[in-house]
Amino acid sequence: MSLIAEIAGELAGMFVGDARLSLAILAVVGVAAALRELSGLDPLLGGAVLLVGSLAVLIESVRRSARGNRLP
Amino acid sequence: MIVTWSTAAPAIGAAFAASLVEVVEAFTIVLAVATLRGWRPATWGTAAGLAALTGGVVALGPLLNRVPIHGLQLAIGVLLLLFGLGWLRKATLRAAGAIPLHDEDAIFAAEAAELDATARRHGNRLDWIAGMTAFKAVILEGIEVVFIVIAVGAGRGLLVPAGIGALAACGVVLAVGAVVHRPLSRVPENTLKFGVGVMLSAFGVYWTGEGIGVPWPGQDLALFVFALLFLGAGMLGTAIARRPLAEAAR
Repeated sequence: MSLIAEIAGELAGMFVGDARLSLAILAVVGVAAALRELSGLDPLLGGAVLLVGSLAVLIESVRRSARGNRLP
Repeated sequence: MIVTWSTAAPAIGAAFAASLVEVVEAFTIVLAVATLRGWRPATWGTAAGLAALTGGVVALGPLLNRVPIHGLQLAIGVLLLLFGLGWLRKATLRAAGAIPLHDEDAIFAAEAAELDATARRHGNRLDWIAGMTAFKAVILEGIEVVFIVIAVGAGRGLLVPAGIGALAACGVVLAVGAVVHRPLSRVPENTLKFGVGVMLSAFGVYWTGEGIGVPWPGQDLALFVFALLFLGAGMLGTAIARRPLAEAAR
């Protein structure tokens, strides 16, 4: 049982190493998907938000962790 | 479907580099087991781990064909973004010196010490415990390899090229490990993780976009542009992360 729990923990850790980073990524994907669904807008706008948002989320997460000098 | 080199190369490269990192980590632990208790428990633990992984892939793999392609691309894309950006963030912080580098020698020593301590507590059950340690290492790192192969391969029918990349990584680690017979601490693991984080993040944006219906200009070639942008962001992040450390040192 502990092996299964360990595997489950490892799997969760693969995707949610830092909760704030994960939440920010999901928020960017949500906004990009919502923009894609809105009629009248260029479909590439959602893609641009997804790309630029992901880059910004990465830099902000690194900056925040380096300031705190800790890794959650 | 005809697979072109420009389509397959990123999948093979990402699967190879990412798998190399994971296999090196598993190899360190298996080697610690072998050094302390001999190759018998290390071999059966590794074989059992590989058998369990193969069984899981054979049982669950065909289910992938039943998932609608856009749903699959979106799910894999989001998971890749979570996984890839997480790797890139850690590699960036390590490159800046904000957190310590992954040290295979230290992990080998810690694993050997733990097995040694367990030996004193459990006596003759140690072969079983040593085998289970190897089994767990192979399973845990192997699951990551399987995910990476599926993630970079499933969205465009590239499972075979991605699988070849992963198998090549296993072959390289086993060949080098058989020769040097010690932890592969000279593998530039953080540089590899940085590169893999860049590629997985690029795949993540690409597949997520495809999943929500974004018509990327240049199609597959957009992947290379995304990879360059994530590489730039990682390098910028490294420079930004170095600043507080330099200020603290002053």
